[in-house]
Amino acid sequence: MRRQLRSRRAPSFPYSYRYRLDDPDEVNQNYLADEEEEAEEEARVTVVPKSEEEEEEEEKEEEEEEEKEEEEGQGQPTGNAWWQKLQIMNEYLWDPERRMFLARTGLILLVYFFFYASLAAVITLCMYTLFLTISPYIPTFTERVKPPGVMIRPFAHSLNFNFNVSEPDTWQHYVISLNGFLQGYNDSLQEEMNVDCPPGQYFIQDGNEDEDKKACQFKRSFLKNCSGLEDPTFGYSTGQPCILLKMNRVVGFRPELGDPVKVSCKVQRGDENDIRSISYYPESASFDLRYYPYYGKLTHVNYTSPLVAMHFTDVVKNQAVPVQCQLKGKGIINDVINDRFVGRVIFTLNIET
Amino acid sequence: MSQQTPEIYSVELSGTKDIVKTDKGDGKKYRGLKNNCLERKKKNHKEEFQKELHLDDHKLSNRELEKKYGTDIITGLSSTRAAELLARDGPNSLTPPKQTPEIVKFLKQMVGGFSVLLWVGAFLCWIAFGIEYSSNKSASLNNVYLGSVLVLVVIFTGIFAYYQEAKSTNIMSSFKKMIPQQALVIRDSEKKSIPSEQLVVGDIVEVKGGDQIPADIRVLSSQGCRVDNSSLTGESEPQPRSSEFTHENPLETKNICFYSTTCLEGTITGMVINTGDRTIIGHIASLASGVGNEKTPIAIEIEHFVHIVAGVAVSIGILFFIIAVSMNYRVLDSIIFLIGIIVANVPEGLLATVTVTLSLTAKRMAKKNCLVKNLEAVETLGSTSIICSDKTGTLTQNRMTVAHLWFDNQIFVADTSENHSNQVFDQSSRTWASLSKIITLCNRAEFKPGQENVPIMKKAVIGDASETALLKFSEVILGDVMEIRKRNRKVAEIPFNSTNKFQLSIHETDDPHDKRFLMVMKGAPERILEKCSTIMINGEEHPLDESTAKAFHTAYMELGGLGERVLGFCHLYLPAHEFPETYKFDTDAMNFPTSNLCFVGLLSMIDPPRSTVPDAVTKCRSAGIKVIMVTGDHPITAKAIAKSVGIISANSETVEDIARRLSIAVEQVNKWDAKAAVVTGMELKDMSSEQVDEILANYQEIVFARTSPQQKLIIVEGCQRQDAVVAVTGDGVNDSPALKKADIGVAMGIAGSDAAKNAADMVLLDDNFASIVTGVEEGRLIFDNLKKTIAYTLTKNIAELCPFLIYIIVGLPLPIGTITILFIDLGTDIIPSIALAYEKAESDIMNRKPRRKKKDRLVNQPLAVYSYLHIGLMQALGAFLVYFTVYAQEGFLPRSLINLRVEWEKDYVNDLEDSYGQEWTRYQRAYLEWTGYTAFFVGILVQQIADLIIRKTRRNSVFQQGLFRNKVIWVGIASQIVIGLVLSYGLGSVTALSFTMLRAQYWFVAVPHAILIWVYDEVRKLFIRLYPGSWWDKNMYY
Repeated sequence: MRRQLRSRRAPSFPYSYRYRLDDPDEVNQNYLADEEEEAEEEARVTVVPKSEEEEEEEEKEEEEEEEKEEEEGQGQPTGNAWWQKLQIMNEYLWDPERRMFLARTGLILLVYFFFYASLAAVITLCMYTLFLTISPYIPTFTERVKPPGVMIRPFAHSLNFNFNVSEPDTWQHYVISLNGFLQGYNDSLQEEMNVDCPPGQYFIQDGNEDEDKKACQFKRSFLKNCSGLEDPTFGYSTGQPCILLKMNRVVGFRPELGDPVKVSCKVQRGDENDIRSISYYPESASFDLRYYPYYGKLTHVNYTSPLVAMHFTDVVKNQAVPVQCQLKGKGIINDVINDRFVGRVIFTLNIET
Repeated sequence: MSQQTPEIYSVELSGTKDIVKTDKGDGKKYRGLKNNCLERKKKNHKEEFQKELHLDDHKLSNRELEKKYGTDIITGLSSTRAAELLARDGPNSLTPPKQTPEIVKFLKQMVGGFSVLLWVGAFLCWIAFGIEYSSNKSASLNNVYLGSVLVLVVIFTGIFAYYQEAKSTNIMSSFKKMIPQQALVIRDSEKKSIPSEQLVVGDIVEVKGGDQIPADIRVLSSQGCRVDNSSLTGESEPQPRSSEFTHENPLETKNICFYSTTCLEGTITGMVINTGDRTIIGHIASLASGVGNEKTPIAIEIEHFVHIVAGVAVSIGILFFIIAVSMNYRVLDSIIFLIGIIVANVPEGLLATVTVTLSLTAKRMAKKNCLVKNLEAVETLGSTSIICSDKTGTLTQNRMTVAHLWFDNQIFVADTSENHSNQVFDQSSRTWASLSKIITLCNRAEFKPGQENVPIMKKAVIGDASETALLKFSEVILGDVMEIRKRNRKVAEIPFNSTNKFQLSIHETDDPHDKRFLMVMKGAPERILEKCSTIMINGEEHPLDESTAKAFHTAYMELGGLGERVLGFCHLYLPAHEFPETYKFDTDAMNFPTSNLCFVGLLSMIDPPRSTVPDAVTKCRSAGIKVIMVTGDHPITAKAIAKSVGIISANSETVEDIARRLSIAVEQVNKWDAKAAVVTGMELKDMSSEQVDEILANYQEIVFARTSPQQKLIIVEGCQRQDAVVAVTGDGVNDSPALKKADIGVAMGIAGSDAAKNAADMVLLDDNFASIVTGVEEGRLIFDNLKKTIAYTLTKNIAELCPFLIYIIVGLPLPIGTITILFIDLGTDIIPSIALAYEKAESDIMNRKPRRKKKDRLVNQPLAVYSYLHIGLMQALGAFLVYFTVYAQEGFLPRSLINLRVEWEKDYVNDLEDSYGQEWTRYQRAYLEWTGYTAFFVGILVQQIADLIIRKTRRNSVFQQGLFRNKVIWVGIASQIVIGLVLSYGLGSVTALSFTMLRAQYWFVAVPHAILIWVYDEVRKLFIRLYPGSWWDKNMYY
């Protein structure tokens, strides 16, 4: 076995005088952690006469020599081992005799540097290959994000709409949120950026996947009473709140032809008559087919998600009304048990007067 | 324990105090033992101490005894009195050594090792839930589940380890069943047979040849009684017992018999003076239980390893806890991270794996006749550097056997092998005919009836050891001895006694025409020679002159010098006219001649070494293990046996040998010139512990003779002071303290006493020293293989840990869940890591030195570094590649994942945008996250296959080792893949397990990385082989 090769240091070592560890008192103090010993044993090679070039190498050998001494010193554990350990640690980090910082670790650091550099190269290569196989325009798979989820606006961390009609402070933030959200839908902007494409059919744009695609207009004015143009408070000041519903974008998603996705809201639990009337804008309460398919954010830059606004014109006041809005249409799933945002959204309205 | 040991031997070591005590005689071999008894008594039971000090029952007369114990020699105790005493003293049996209660053993498994960390993790989980729940009543129960799973893991692995332990202990319990002994006792003037446990002090008992002595007994009357004290002292010579008070020392006097020794022949009537634990044997047994069990080397190693891993886990955990807190994570989240890090870092399945591995080896060893009582002891033999072997029964066959004969002025060698099959000496001489007749006739030993089909050497015999040897010897050579005896009817007999030192019998001859009587005699050679005037040479009587007498003495000295017991044989045909057929021989009046006989020959006997022992000793030598003989027997015999088995090698000399060779005084020899030493108990007694150390360190070949149980302990301790791992073999009660003290005690399964077996960690079922070598080999192999198992298991910890660190620092969606980690640790990785235990040795493990205690560690720095920072990191990268691939193909390119964590985990964000502008609900993201877990899991799994293959060897190339030699490895790989497939595709729909069905192609993403790992490790091994002793070798060989 390799260990047997190890022999004791020859007494005639030319530089043995340099060992401060030869001092018996010091030997005792060298109490090295077990784990470190393994690395320090070595087959002793014959001593070569000292020369300029070998200075460096010798330094190293000396290092090992010293550690061997330390190891031998371990035989006599003495009282304050912790203090000694601390001292060793100190010497290990900064050796005052040779004025070296982490000398022994120099070589190790070098080796590890190369090792990790090559590993980094390998992972870079792998990632590069990965990117080669992946299109930046169209996702490879979309089955996880289908069927599309649904979200509402305004949305502020909570699906409970509690406000008091007579206290603007309680609903002002909804108005601000909606206003902000609808900035991108301003008619002027839409007319400038997007095309007015024919309704009732898909807006299919052939061509390479990296070509820029045009987007259909969805104007804020489509939302009528909920556009905030006529009623800047979106009905909140009258206790008739507007809530916008948005279907999550999914690249390549197409509702069944001729049957646009519709939105319908009702009371989720409790008395159906708690909500006596809802107005939908656009009046069809549906997402027009011309907004599909979506070509991905890189090429379909100005794509504006179509919206459906629900105007709760007559809701029971002063009580929480749970509302469930569902998407309806062929190929639409709205009853996944675990995911309450796929094809539906549930929120409560509690309007106080 | 450490507190108790010093006071046990303090007297022995100081060596002055005891001289004033009772022992003024030469009972040296008992000294330590007795003092110990006294010491213990002094400490524990003051009154009993007094009584012990005045143990003077052997000095008392019968009448005084009756008075002292309130009994009557003729009528015995009354039943009522006996019942009272039984109630007062308890049953006459040794209290079994205190067993650790099962529940304590179980609880130890529950909190030992990593369990504590996991408990902490579980409680942190619950606390985290509690905090969350107090602020938000709808908090998810995930943390509760995780906590419960962690607890389940702890309990499951605990139960498993406990079960494994219990299974191996159960094998032993079969040994403990003892047939209840019956004792013949006189009570109420009636002879009754009662179970010997019910004996009380003062009972009058009768013991006959073949029985065990049921308690410590003061002999009242005896007839030709001899007892075998070997279980107490190790002496195989039968000791006579009679009612005379012969010695001050109760242990030396003839009128006391000791509990558990055997009465070989004759009958005794005696009074019980001590029962149960108060007997001498009881004291030795309690001495054994007073000696604490040393921690096994493997236990130390595993502890060291647990410390390393736990240290890494806790320090990384706390470090990242602090980092997380200072990165403005909520404390609650930080706690969750901490749990994740702990779970990732702790190899939950490893300790169970180690247990299984050890018990597999234990099973393998049991097949080779090494029964391991304590699982951890499996490895201990492998690290053993000194074996202290008892002589009798372990190295030798434990039966006297005829070794040499001397007749016709020649020494003949008899076959002493186990079956005696090959007796080659010259049997044509007529002297042999006469000698064989004497051997056959002048012998009282008989085979027990009903053993027709048993081989001769195995037949049970009634009679003492040397007579048995002679009986078997003649049975083998001459055939049916009983038939020969029948033809030569015995007419008179004087049995052996110590004053005559001879045995004599007179027979009719089987020749019908020869009306003479034949008188045959055997005994101590010098006594026999005195009675002779002629000597038979080549069948003819020659007058005994100066030269023949000298030849006799030379032969006698030579045989004696071999450590053999020599007997002389002579005969005389009584003239028919003086002793007609009707002559009445009277053995008391000795009305027949006992001088001027014809000397026929000498015969010497020894307890011969087992035939397998010399080879085994050589093997131990080459394995760097020092074999020391420790025996209670005489130095000469001990040395002779040591030489014949190689404990003292052929060309090495003791100080005495050198002195004899150079014809100088022993004192003039430089004692370090000698390689071997024979140290007697008497010398040992006067030595300081430094001197003992000096002897143990300086002599390669040591024999300790005439040692007491106490001194055996001292020797074992001396060896342990040399930092050696000491194995002790033994069979007698006297060995049990040393067996207990040793790092590994090896008891003999057949000859061993129950006390020895109880104290030992291992039992040799065939009593064969050679089995120890097997044990050493297996022990070393298991150590190497455990290294591989641990290296294999530790590797993936980094791959499990990195995700958490990256998650905290970079904010990726969590790449692998805690539950998934548990599925790797306790699912896919278990069978492969056990499979490594079946790996064959890489090189001849019996040709290297034993590993150095606390230096050649199970888990050393190169192992940890290589597993963690090399292979582990490569694995992590490979697994991350699979993870990134899955996310990228689903829509989240790696760039977009950075710092996505916060948004990703918000339950109310249900339209999170990915790299393609698609919007994801929370649940869709969670499902993708689980897919990521599964992908990461598969990545680790695929690379663990490569890891498993590279761990087959540490130095040789895997191809040198043979890729398919260990079939179990492939079973392991198959199990890994099958479990992976089942988890992903079978349980993919169970949301609680967070596995999903993974697209088939993702299984292959990490394959190039796996191949890279394999290639890298082959390169590492290549450099290690090419440049032994280089920097690379030192840092990369684990």
